[in-house]
Amino acid sequence: MDKLLKSCFIALLLFGLGCRKEDEKTMIPESVMAGGDCTVFSTGPDAFTFPLPNLDAFGVERHFLADGIFGQQFVSAPAVQFGGLGPLFNQNSCESCHVRNGRGMIPQMDNDPNSGLLLRISLTGQNANGGIIAVPEFGGQLQNKAIFGTAPEGKVSKSEITQIVSFLDGQQVTLHKPAYTITDTYLPLSGNVLISPRNAPPVHGLGLLEAIPSSSIMALADETDTNGDGITGKPNMVWDILEQTFKLGRFGWKAEQPTAAQQAAGAAHNDMGLTSFYFPDEHCEGQTNCIDGTQATLDVDDETISLFAFYFQSLAVPAQRNYSDSQVIRGRELFSQIECESCHTPKHTTGVHEIAALSNQTIYPYTDLLLHDMGEGLADNRPTFLADGQEWRTPPLWGIGLTHVINPNATFLHDGRAKTMEEAILWHGGEAESSQKKYKNLSKTDRDNLIKFLNAL
Amino acid sequence: MKKFNLICAFLVVALLVTSCKKDETITPTADYKDILSNIGENVILQTYEDLAAKAQNLYIAAQTLKNNPTSANLEGAKAAWVETRLPWEQSEGFLFGPVEQEGLDPSLDSWPVNVTDLNNVLLSNNALTAEFLDQQEGTLKGFHTIEFLLWSESSNKQIADFTSREFEYLVAAAEVLSIDAQELYYLWKPDGENFIKNILDAGNGSQVYISQKSALEEITNALIIISDEVANGKINDPFSQQDLSLEESRFSANSKADFTDNMRSIQNIYTGKFSTFGNGKSLSTIVGEKNSSVNTEVLQQINVAIAAIENIPGTFSDAVFNNPTSVQAAQTAVRNLQKTLEEKVLPIISNL
Repeated sequence: MDKLLKSCFIALLLFGLGCRKEDEKTMIPESVMAGGDCTVFSTGPDAFTFPLPNLDAFGVERHFLADGIFGQQFVSAPAVQFGGLGPLFNQNSCESCHVRNGRGMIPQMDNDPNSGLLLRISLTGQNANGGIIAVPEFGGQLQNKAIFGTAPEGKVSKSEITQIVSFLDGQQVTLHKPAYTITDTYLPLSGNVLISPRNAPPVHGLGLLEAIPSSSIMALADETDTNGDGITGKPNMVWDILEQTFKLGRFGWKAEQPTAAQQAAGAAHNDMGLTSFYFPDEHCEGQTNCIDGTQATLDVDDETISLFAFYFQSLAVPAQRNYSDSQVIRGRELFSQIECESCHTPKHTTGVHEIAALSNQTIYPYTDLLLHDMGEGLADNRPTFLADGQEWRTPPLWGIGLTHVINPNATFLHDGRAKTMEEAILWHGGEAESSQKKYKNLSKTDRDNLIKFLNAL
Repeated sequence: MKKFNLICAFLVVALLVTSCKKDETITPTADYKDILSNIGENVILQTYEDLAAKAQNLYIAAQTLKNNPTSANLEGAKAAWVETRLPWEQSEGFLFGPVEQEGLDPSLDSWPVNVTDLNNVLLSNNALTAEFLDQQEGTLKGFHTIEFLLWSESSNKQIADFTSREFEYLVAAAEVLSIDAQELYYLWKPDGENFIKNILDAGNGSQVYISQKSALEEITNALIIISDEVANGKINDPFSQQDLSLEESRFSANSKADFTDNMRSIQNIYTGKFSTFGNGKSLSTIVGEKNSSVNTEVLQQINVAIAAIENIPGTFSDAVFNNPTSVQAAQTAVRNLQKTLEEKVLPIISNL
């Protein structure tokens, strides 16, 4: 969709902001411009859908082409247009999972066709590159849909256990922990398969995260906790397909992808069954249910796959809101006081990126992009490269307050178990346990203030 | 596109030069509840109610055709499809809320049709029921699948060409379309899931719209989105690539009606009226108060766009190759409207 003039207008707004009286201007915290010059001022359901306001004309044009592809539904080959789907897949378009570019919806029932959650699967151990060992006849991800006439690998069943957490002041909250199991498999599935549920994360601002220099992220790492603060921070080093070497992982729940392009190509490949120059073989290659009409050619050409990546890279970040609200200001202090910042690093400066608009920006994503042990409660017990079964990458928090405006059905954490931000905080274990306990010991007023701050991001 | 950017740069410069001259005066925020309730209750809700009623008629027409396969009943089913298509296209000016969040848009209006799978379904011995289609992707059901079954790819399908499996598929697809349309209406209406409450209570307890302005911005942006979709997607893709396989409603030759109904969707929202409903309180009211010449321009450009599309001779498919001038003129008219909505209307709404 053409948001060119809209982004232009936002640029105008920006100038408007710059034209306030001096004393007023100094009161606007730098963090309000969460994406630096890549910030947009939207509070509505479309907040994650704008191109970078400082993108050049050519970039804007490419962004809108990419926008079309991101929403495009693919169909079975042979097809006149948009063929190549499957044969096995989770959804037939990117937008089906990343609703309005935000979070997906976890299954509301067994094998919910509208769900944006998928199951990664593997056997114990590591392959030659340190990656996962695929499950024979199933691969590294369960595809619960297939083109007609092909058996999907299986269905996703969901059950739930609940537990009650009490605050110091006596208030209680019920937590829900989903257990996802695989049923109705097309072939028998061994009982000791490792399963990791992954809900679709929001896709805005990925270009800016890509533009943070590796050295800055490495500088935050403290694998052996030399400073004794109980927080490690471990870089995941993952296989870069283009460069044929290990690179710092940044994207995905366990930081298993090094670049936006490989992340995009990987999603197209695993979630939609689209082969590309990154992944020339179907993900189900060799499986008995992998009947594909187009094995001789790639499903999507190089231009299409680079458009997928460009879309991620060229999405803007919404500005922080209500920054002068006293509760938000207090919440901001508490965020620091109970040491959320140990992992949710507020500020970064980007380096030079091939997309000039992303270069040299001061940004506020609230993440260190590093792995942390989050305890048994959140563990998937499925290692990926250097990430062990209890480690997760700190997710960015920018835009998190708009989650339910964008998709009222969205939930938080890797498996979507948390319906509210408070529930998400209460699941923080392992290295984050001390912050979580501090949160539980806050007064109701201060707990609300902290949530109010998160809602303003 | 490039032209837009020049304008943008120009505006930015102009603003830099002029914007810091005087202090802004703070005006109290007006109440737009009557406008939002008219848009919600009289345009959006009524459009969806009409869609649900027409979809039910289509389902009945499909059953009639299956039970009594005559040329007349085939024409009846085709006419019912065209009738149902109208409120759907007139709802595309507000593709937000439940239609987008509940998987309904893909189920109703996926494109392209998964022809390979569809043929395999027909060749299979699966029972062709609504329950079966419910389990399939959107590209195997909805408007375009029904269109494909009624008209075929060559658009010259005769009653004798139908197989009994095609009739069964048609009825099941029409049933699913009817169920989806009912569901969409139910999700919006006050005695259903009541999504409309979010519009009515914008800025006053709405879970979705933190202010009336953000609801009005969503409504305005949706108009921009559909005008862009028509100009730069629906018209542009087949036209610029001279490739009719990119034309969405080509089997039924309904493209021109699709485009004009999309324009009417903009008109309905902008003027606060649908069919016999609505009191006219809408974006037009706000824009008219702030800048009456912009309001006049929008109203005029909507009419010009509708006329330019209707002026395309014959079918859109034919005109793509044989009358590019008329297609170009229609595209330009829609782009002009889009530009006004983006450059003049949205800023007015965003500055409320």
